[in-house]
Amino acid sequence: MKIYVCCKQVPDVAMTIQIKDGKFISEGMNYVLNAYDASCVEEALVLKEKYGAEVTLVLIGDEAGKEALRKGLAMGADNAFHISDPALNNLGSQAAAKVLQAFFKGRDFDFILTGKQAQDSDMGLAGGILSGLLNLPYVTNAVGLDVQDKMIVVKRQGDEGVEVLHMPMPSLITCSNDMNDPRIPSLKGIMASKKKPMEQVSLTDLGLSADEVLKESQKSSLKSFGLPPARKAGAKIEGDAQTLVATLMEKLTKEAKVL
Amino acid sequence: MQFLLSEDQKMIRDMAREFASDKIAPFAMSWDQNHEFPMETIRQMAELGLLGMTVSEEFEGAGLDTVSYALAVMEIAKGCSSVAVTMCVNHLVCSILQDYGSQQQKDRYLKDLASGREIGSFCLTEPQAGSDAQNQKTRATRTATGWVLQGKKAWITNGTYASVFVVTAVTSEDASGKKEISAFLVPRNAKGLILGKPEHKMGQCASNTIEVTLEGVELSEDAIIGGENGFKVMMNGLNSGRVGIASLCCGIAASAIREAVNYANERVAFGAPIANLQAIQFKIADMVTGLEASELLTLKAAWLKDSGKSYVESASMAKVFASEMVNRVTAEAVQIHGGNGYVREYLVEKLYRDARITTIYEGTSEIQRLVIGRGVLKKGFL
Repeated sequence: MKIYVCCKQVPDVAMTIQIKDGKFISEGMNYVLNAYDASCVEEALVLKEKYGAEVTLVLIGDEAGKEALRKGLAMGADNAFHISDPALNNLGSQAAAKVLQAFFKGRDFDFILTGKQAQDSDMGLAGGILSGLLNLPYVTNAVGLDVQDKMIVVKRQGDEGVEVLHMPMPSLITCSNDMNDPRIPSLKGIMASKKKPMEQVSLTDLGLSADEVLKESQKSSLKSFGLPPARKAGAKIEGDAQTLVATLMEKLTKEAKVL
Repeated sequence: MQFLLSEDQKMIRDMAREFASDKIAPFAMSWDQNHEFPMETIRQMAELGLLGMTVSEEFEGAGLDTVSYALAVMEIAKGCSSVAVTMCVNHLVCSILQDYGSQQQKDRYLKDLASGREIGSFCLTEPQAGSDAQNQKTRATRTATGWVLQGKKAWITNGTYASVFVVTAVTSEDASGKKEISAFLVPRNAKGLILGKPEHKMGQCASNTIEVTLEGVELSEDAIIGGENGFKVMMNGLNSGRVGIASLCCGIAASAIREAVNYANERVAFGAPIANLQAIQFKIADMVTGLEASELLTLKAAWLKDSGKSYVESASMAKVFASEMVNRVTAEAVQIHGGNGYVREYLVEKLYRDARITTIYEGTSEIQRLVIGRGVLKKGFL
């Protein structure tokens, strides 16, 4: 089996996000493998261990992207493609999908996995757009994957149960981070990751021009960043049970008007 | 001069950080309060290669440098210093075997210890001989087939769980009372090896510390490590061990500072977060500066070792400075927390207790100062 995982590097959410004049301050930030993509890598590795597979990572990004790819390789992926070009900074979902479409052109694979969204932009669009561009069957928000009789068995979590879908190969599946707990790379894995192939791919290699990418990027553009407003303090109700219930009912019906 | 970690070193640090924050930190307070040795966590660390980091790959270690090891210990200690000290002591035993063990000893023991399938223990201190290591009374007497060990060892880390013990013992004593001390490998199942009950300690309660008694333990000829002048074996082991303990101190301090900063930003007094008070800002400044200096001393000592340069005094400087720093830093972290810092619900209470041992074990501050002072006076200072 050939499994491709499309990855993104995102600012480490454990760090404090700094925004100045509507701009995100990237200086001093650590960039890490998007958690949803890390779940894809983990699931691909589990399938590899079960059935044998080649797990290939693809990432569009600058130098920081290489670290995310190396993390995936250290976890156990076999090889990686690093698509890098000055024209590819701050891509929108549409443009990213367009670049990936060019990357996958003529490539042989059984399925593509990618996170259902990225932790930074939370758009959740690139996977869907890419499946459209590649004309691939597409399922979102997987919480489990398996392979049976050359079909991909995808579990999706619904409100009242689990939906199980059988997808043909090739397909594109976006994954939830609820799917698994991605492994922490071992020291052996980290040292081995240095020797694994990481191929650099430029826009020219993909047969795309900077103008084409820019045109796609402009279909949606990011205007500015802002921090969410501070939450207002909640109301604290005090008293015995009777008073508590009465006051709460009063607030729910008259103030919040939800009852 | 460059203060940059290599890409490998950064990845190793990040990996240890991820492990500590996911698999250690959430449980550290419960392990502490229940005096629980987290065997399962140690096993997971073994699988990741964290128990034999600097042992060559030939003996199932990760073949890494001391800087990487120091970085990993710092991160693990941010999660829990008990786990870090377990790792450090196993590493100490690995280092001794790697540097002085015979091929046969390495095949028999080092692979198991470096891979973490087994855990090692180091027995030097005795009830009456800590800093005064030359005064140890455990005897190794020659027999027709090997050696017999008789004596008592105190404060032995990992003892309950170790499969092999490196035990120092006096092999001879001349008329002037000068002793030859050697190190021996004692397997756990050796007849006459008696393991005591775990000690009830002030801190680092999730690490295991026992008394070990050797009652006529018979060993074969090849149980001795590095021949009969084994004092250098244990001294070299301890020198490199000091880098590990200094790293551990940095880890505890980093956790204490994180807790103090978070608390200072949240705790309101006099109508504003206490972080606005200069009294608090100055404390935080001193704490961070102390940590930074300790990290630099520690990584410098590790780098010197990796570069094959003399690092004995540097390792002692790192150890004495970092251990005294972490005692000040955790005390200030408690101070910033006020009364809350004195109760078990807050992590700084544990960190304060955990820090206390660090100026005592693996060479007291006083011994480190002897090492540094004598070293400098002997070599001269230009």
